[in-house]
Amino acid sequence: MRRLESLIQLCLLACLACCVLPSSRAFAEDPKPEEKKEAVDTKTDDPDSKGDDEEKDDEDKKEEKKDVYFAVTGATIHTLSRGDLYDATVLVKNGRLAEMGHGVVIPEDAETLDASGFHLYPGLVAVRGGNIIGSGRAEETTDVYSLWMTIALASGITTAVSGETAVSLTYGSVEDMVVKRDLFVGLRYSTSDPKQRRKVREGFEKVRQYMRDLQSHVEKKKTDPKAEEPDKEWLKGDFETYFKLLKHEAVAKVSANTAHEINQFCDLAERYGIRIVIDGALEGWTVARRMARAGVSAIISIRPPIFSTDTGVDERLNRPTGRSIENAATLHKYGVSIAIVPSTASITAWGLAGRDLLHLNMEAAFAVRGGLPEEAALRSITIDAARILGIDHRVGSLEIGKDGNFMITDGDPLHYMTHVRWTVVNGRLVYDKKKDSLFSHIRPDGDRDAPPPDDYWPRRLGDGQ
Amino acid sequence: MITTRRKHVRLAATCIAFAGCIYSVQAGGLAIKAGKVITMNGEDAVYNNAIVFVEDGLVKGLGQQGKTPIPDGYSVIDASDKWVVPGLVDAHNHTAGSLADLNDMVYLSNPGLRTLETIVPDNELIKQARAGGVTSVLLIPGSGTNMSGFGTITKTAGRTVDEVVMRAPGSLKIAQAGNPEWYWYGVGRSYMNYNTRQTLEKALGYHKKWVAFEEKKVANAPLFDPIFEGFRGLFQRKFPASVHTQAYQVVMTTVDMLAKKLKIRTIIDHGTFDGFKTTAILKGSDVYTINGPRQYWFDRSQRKMHGNCARWWQSGQKKLGCNTDAPVVPQAELSYQGAMACWYGWTPYEALKGVTKIPAEALMIDSEVGSIEPGKSADFGIWTGDPLDPRSSCEITVIRGKVAYDAKVKRRF
Repeated sequence: MRRLESLIQLCLLACLACCVLPSSRAFAEDPKPEEKKEAVDTKTDDPDSKGDDEEKDDEDKKEEKKDVYFAVTGATIHTLSRGDLYDATVLVKNGRLAEMGHGVVIPEDAETLDASGFHLYPGLVAVRGGNIIGSGRAEETTDVYSLWMTIALASGITTAVSGETAVSLTYGSVEDMVVKRDLFVGLRYSTSDPKQRRKVREGFEKVRQYMRDLQSHVEKKKTDPKAEEPDKEWLKGDFETYFKLLKHEAVAKVSANTAHEINQFCDLAERYGIRIVIDGALEGWTVARRMARAGVSAIISIRPPIFSTDTGVDERLNRPTGRSIENAATLHKYGVSIAIVPSTASITAWGLAGRDLLHLNMEAAFAVRGGLPEEAALRSITIDAARILGIDHRVGSLEIGKDGNFMITDGDPLHYMTHVRWTVVNGRLVYDKKKDSLFSHIRPDGDRDAPPPDDYWPRRLGDGQ
Repeated sequence: MITTRRKHVRLAATCIAFAGCIYSVQAGGLAIKAGKVITMNGEDAVYNNAIVFVEDGLVKGLGQQGKTPIPDGYSVIDASDKWVVPGLVDAHNHTAGSLADLNDMVYLSNPGLRTLETIVPDNELIKQARAGGVTSVLLIPGSGTNMSGFGTITKTAGRTVDEVVMRAPGSLKIAQAGNPEWYWYGVGRSYMNYNTRQTLEKALGYHKKWVAFEEKKVANAPLFDPIFEGFRGLFQRKFPASVHTQAYQVVMTTVDMLAKKLKIRTIIDHGTFDGFKTTAILKGSDVYTINGPRQYWFDRSQRKMHGNCARWWQSGQKKLGCNTDAPVVPQAELSYQGAMACWYGWTPYEALKGVTKIPAEALMIDSEVGSIEPGKSADFGIWTGDPLDPRSSCEITVIRGKVAYDAKVKRRF
C-alpha cells in the first residue's frame, strides 16, 4: 500500500516537473527589455512578409524614417487587463501602444484626439470575420474601402478572422494588416465512424512513437555520432498535423455541438495533451466540467440563428440537451475559455438588426442574461477571443507594446444604446462616427432630440451636400 | 420565490413546482412586491416599491410596500429587486400555430381562411415566447398570397384552443407586395392591388346588403356567404387588417386604398424600407405602424442606416410599435427589437410602449392587456431590470394571474 502511495507521489512529482519545465524554459527565452522592444516593432508574425520588411529596411536607410505618433486624451481607459484609468492619455508610436496613463508627454507632431467624456476600450476581436475581409491571402483579397469593413469598424471590431488568418481592419491600407496566419489546423474525428477515429488515434500513436525515437536518437548520438536518425519520410499530411499538435506548435479547431461530439474531442485532447478549440459547443453547458478538465476552449453563439425553430431541447434524449442561454455562464464557471460570436458572423445590410457582427457586443450582452459576469462577457469579445486565436500578445487588451487598436465609445459597450464614436487601428483613426454618413444622424453628440436627416430622392452628382 | 401566509398553500405550491408544472393554482389572490412597476397607464406612471394585487386573473389594484397590507390568503411573489412590466404584445406572430399551415397558397387571395384551426397551444416555440415576457400574440397567416386569411389573437399560455384564444378573428391578413409576387408564375403590383381591391369590394358589397337588411331597408335576407361573412367585422371596424406592406409606394397604397377609401382599421405591419416617408398622409388617421422584423433600412443613395422606428417617430407617427414576425426573429426577443430600434435612434420608454401598449391598441385589445391597470388582465413579466436590455432577463411571466413561466424551474431564455 505504502509503495503504491509513493508511486503515486512520484507520478505527481513527474507531472509537476512536466508542468514547470516548459514554463521555466519560456522564462529563459523571454527577451531582455531592449530586445523585446525590437521584437514588438517587427510588423507581423508572418514569415511570408519578411521579404517586404527587408526591402522597407533598405528604404529606411536611404531616408530617415520619422516616428509616427497618435495620442488620445481625456478618455476613461478600460485596459481589460490592468484596471481602468480615468482622464488618462494613450500614446501610440508607429502603430504600437507606447505609453498610457497620466502625465504622458505627447510629442509635438503627434496627431491628437480629445476624447473627454468617452470610454476607450481595446478593439473587439471577431473570431469569425465573414465578409469583412477577403478569403485566402487577406491582404490581396480584401477591399479595404468596403462598406462591410466600415460597418465593422463602427461596431468597434478591429481584428477579424478570415479562414485561418487573423487580420487587423486597416481601413484604406493593407500595411501591417495580417496579425497571424495559420491560426488553426483542422482535425477530423468522426463521431459516427469508429474506424476513422481509430485511424486518427493510430496516427497520433505513430507520431508519438516517432517523437520518442527522436528523443532516444539525440541520446544515442552522444555516444555514437553515426547513429541513424529515425525515418521521417512518412511524416506528411495528417501525420504532420499530428506532429505539430503533439509539439504544441498548432492548435486544432473542430466543429462540435452535441455533448457526445464534444466528449470525443475532450478524450482526444486529454489522451494526447493536444490543444483543441471547440467551435459551436451548443451543449457545452452539459459537459462543462469535462471540457475544463481536457483544457479545451470554445467559440460559442448565444442565440439561435434567424428563422430558427430550434426549441432548445431534443426530447428523444434522456439527458439535458440543446441550446441554453446559460451556456457561456456555465462554461465560464468551470473555467473553460470562451470567445463569443453571433451566429450570423458577418456584416449584413438587409435590415435585421442586432444579429450580425455589427452587434457583436450584444451577443456578449445576451450571455450576461444567462449569468455570465459582465467583465467576462467583455473579455469574450476581446482578450479571451484573442487568446483563443493565439494573438493575445498583439491585441485584445491595452498593454504597452501591443497594437494600437481601440474603440472609443459613448458608454458601456454592453448597453444597447452605446455607439462607437471613433475606432483606431494601428494608431490610425479609421472610423469617425461624425464624419461617416452611416450613423452620424443617430444621436449626434448624444442628442436624442436631434432633427432627422433630409429625405430627398436619390442625389445626382452636384446635388445637395 | 413564492411565499404565502397559509402553510398548506405553500405546500401545494411547492408540490406543484416539484412536479415541474408551472401553472400554480392560487387560492385567494396574488400579490407581487415589485421594485418598480411600469404601468403604461394613461399617465405613464412608474411606481417604485409597489405591490400589484391580482384576483381572478385580473389586476385588482396597486399598493405601496410597507403601507398597503397584504390580505390573508394571498400568495406573495417577492420581486422587490425587480421590475414588473406589462406582458409584451406581438402583433405579428406565426409560432402560436403550426408553421406548416402558414401559407395555403391555393389562390392569389384566399379570403375565407383563418388561423384559428392551426393553433397548437403550448407548443415549444410559444413556450419560448413566455420566457421573453411575451404574453399575447396575433397569430397571422403568411404573406405568400394577397389575402391569406384571418388571424387569431392568443395568449401564450394555455392548454386548449379555447383557453388560449383571446379574439377570433384577430385581424385580416393582407399582403400587398414583397412576397405574393412569387405566386404561380409571378404577378406584379398592379394586378395585386386590383386583386386585393376587388376582393374587399365584393366583401363590402356583401356587408352592405346585410346592413340594408338589418336596417329593414330590404325585406329579404341576402344569401349567406361563408367566405365573406367573416369580413363584416372588418367593415364594422371590430378588428383591424394586418397589412404586409413595406417601402414608400406600397405603404402609400395601403393608406390610401385600405384606410382612407375602404375605411378599414389598418395596421401597417412591417412598414420597413422607406415606408416612413408616408407619415405625412397618416396625420389624423388611426393607422398604426407595427414595424419589424427589419429595424433599419440601408439607404444606398444617402449611404445612411436609418432606424425605421426612429424615422417613423421623427416624422410624426406616434402610433408606433415593433414586432418580431416570429420565427424570423425568435419570439422571445420582442423586447430586443425595441432595444435595436433604440440603438438606431428611438427612445427606450417609447420602445417599451411599442411592444406593450401600442400593439394592444393596434389590435384593439387595449381594454384587456398592454398596461397594468385595475380591471385589466394580470399579464406581466417580472424582469431583473430594463426589459429592453439584453442583459436583463424575464424571471417570471404571469398570464391571467397565473405563473406561466418561472426561470427558477427551467430557464429558457
